[in-house]
Amino acid sequence: LKCTEKYIYYLSFQSKSDIISTVEFNHTGELLATGDKGGRVVIFQREQESKNQVHRRGEYNVYSTFQSHEPEFDYLKSLEIEEKINKIRWLPQQNAAYFLLSTNDKTVKLWKVSERDKRPEGYNLKDEEGRLRDPATITTLRVPVLRPMDLMVEATPRRVFANAHTYHINSISVNSDYETYMSADDLRINLWNFEITNQSFNIVDIKPANMEELTEVITAAEFHPHHCNTFVYSSSKGTIRLCDMRASALCDRHTKFFEEPEDPSNRSFFSEIISSISDVKFSHSGRYIMTRDYLTVKVWDLNMENRPIETYQVHDYLRSKLCSLYENDCIFDKFECVWNGSDSVIMTGSYNNFFRMFDRNTKRDVTLEASRENSKPRAILKPRKVCVGGKRRKDEISVDSLDFSKKILHTAWHPSENIIAVAATNNLYIFQDKVN
Amino acid sequence: MEFKLEAHRIVSISLGKIYNSRVQRGGIKLHKNLLVSLVLRSARQVYLSDPCPGLYLAGPAGIPAPPPQQQPGEPAAGPPAGWGEPPPPAARASWPETEPQPERPSVSHAPRVGDEVPVTTVTGVGDVLQGGEADATEAAWSRVERPRQAAAREAEGPAGGWGVFPEGSLAARRPCFCPLGGEDPPGTPATTPRTACCCAPRPAEDEPPAPPAVCPRKRGAAGVGGGPAGCPAPGSTPLKKPRRNLEQPPSGGEDDDAEEMETGNVANLISIFGSSFSGLLRKSPGGGREEEEGEESGPEAAEPGQICCDKPVLRDMNPWSTAIVAF
Repeated sequence: LKCTEKYIYYLSFQSKSDIISTVEFNHTGELLATGDKGGRVVIFQREQESKNQVHRRGEYNVYSTFQSHEPEFDYLKSLEIEEKINKIRWLPQQNAAYFLLSTNDKTVKLWKVSERDKRPEGYNLKDEEGRLRDPATITTLRVPVLRPMDLMVEATPRRVFANAHTYHINSISVNSDYETYMSADDLRINLWNFEITNQSFNIVDIKPANMEELTEVITAAEFHPHHCNTFVYSSSKGTIRLCDMRASALCDRHTKFFEEPEDPSNRSFFSEIISSISDVKFSHSGRYIMTRDYLTVKVWDLNMENRPIETYQVHDYLRSKLCSLYENDCIFDKFECVWNGSDSVIMTGSYNNFFRMFDRNTKRDVTLEASRENSKPRAILKPRKVCVGGKRRKDEISVDSLDFSKKILHTAWHPSENIIAVAATNNLYIFQDKVN
Repeated sequence: MEFKLEAHRIVSISLGKIYNSRVQRGGIKLHKNLLVSLVLRSARQVYLSDPCPGLYLAGPAGIPAPPPQQQPGEPAAGPPAGWGEPPPPAARASWPETEPQPERPSVSHAPRVGDEVPVTTVTGVGDVLQGGEADATEAAWSRVERPRQAAAREAEGPAGGWGVFPEGSLAARRPCFCPLGGEDPPGTPATTPRTACCCAPRPAEDEPPAPPAVCPRKRGAAGVGGGPAGCPAPGSTPLKKPRRNLEQPPSGGEDDDAEEMETGNVANLISIFGSSFSGLLRKSPGGGREEEEGEESGPEAAEPGQICCDKPVLRDMNPWSTAIVAF
């Protein structure tokens, strides 16, 4: 895919109340899960392509909706625990049911999403409404049979992994062994086995003995896509550590340490904030990691620790506005970043409902907008441009007219096709590339 | 000069953020507040390093200032003037933490509920003394530290919330005017600065001579005289004297130009912090109303030492340290 390939506005869903807080395709791309601030999970499923509409690819329709997390109150600490879903991660499908992990600040849950399209009928002891029959009236025995019913999708919580995090969970990542996963909070990373909920192994702990000496926190963590012993975690200081679980039980000492020297000419009050990494993602190949900080996206080669191999400016025009962005808290926004299936294009969000794509091969980039006004079904998205100074051309937007309340923090890319999901506040947009 | 103003503005904004984070739903976010404290530190550095003597807010005169024990990673504080006392070495209130010992078993079972408090949060209602909240306010209300510690330990359960700060170590504290816990009977004018107290945690702050002795009263069993709920307790009258005395040296002893320049902004923050804290420390969610009232009487708060009623008493307490410490 060339990133300048035009995208068609495909379909958008509007969540009535809540802000979408995470978006994730499953491993086949058949399902797309969203989590929101109200603790709900909505799963979309792609329609099977129909034979008579070959050119029209499957649309995504609502498949299942359930309340994953509820607000809780920790009475002992007088602490309210938000129900907002911070992350959703899918497990690879191993049978007919789908499994996903969803987490709020404190508790991870494993959900099973399964279909029921048959129903048993002909019980002996119960009548059709489920009422118990008087045994005295039963004179014959029959074997219950399964009869078709309307498809029902049910979600059941299969595991609840609670009470292992003192700080706020920011990441979960399923290991490639499909037996374990990790959860990371500001200071610690825990390793879980899916089958065991009352125990977890602490594999990273950066909490200082004296909290006064705290200088950095963990901001994101992810397992290597193929090597089940390797994971990375990013920090608020803009560094990434790669750890090997074979080296020791507690991976406080990293195997690799990725850090780019700071550019002294860019120093300001806010240098530390904008260097804090908000997301880290392995490439599908496992050879690169991508990090997002406030103004840039960087691609690192695992074999080179002293600097990234690529740096892309997402919205450098904000550099002169950091003080205002600090005042209105926008500087703390945590943008995510994603790879496309072939690792050739990376995508991340910005403000004004803009999102950006960077083609790593051609070095071209494009800015697109996710908004209802500018998009109609099957309409081609028009590239946008921000005017940084001087004369503003028609169709350009000046920096001062950007709407900072419209931010795209969460995006997802289909694992193998050019379909993207973009969450703009409480709207979900799904775009696909043009089919010739 | 512009840097200094900018730095000052950033400090104000940062303190406001820290304060607001306390009433955020979901608890204080460690990451965000760490970042804010870094900005605060940078701004403070700029403020201190800018060679503009008239703008320094000198520390309280006569404070025996032992060299501040800098944290590793703390920027050089420069002269103790500027934002008052440099960050104290072990200000527990910055990152309130009640974990008694490092918990690092290689197989860690689910931590006991209440074992740790990442940061305290105040939702504006309820008893802020429970859990880790005791950390923050406890630092400020040092007057009744020991009894409070005992009570806090009870609250924390076997985890021993104050493991980091055993009772005996209270003596080695920052130089400020806060009275030592338990050593100052109420009503004793404290004319000499204490050598130990736990006001003024890490971020930049103003001179911290204000013993917010009123608040411990709220703690009921823990506090001296276990007063009624609500910080500006009626029973605090005998405590006003020491506070007034303590307040006077700082106002008299330093650069009046600096103070005048700073007062306007500080006064607003004082009223916000002071009155809102009284709202926070009440059991009833009256914080919002308190704040309004506080801001209206802002000018009153500009005069340290003018204590005419309960609310301004709170406001006159060192706003920076009160705010930061409570956080």
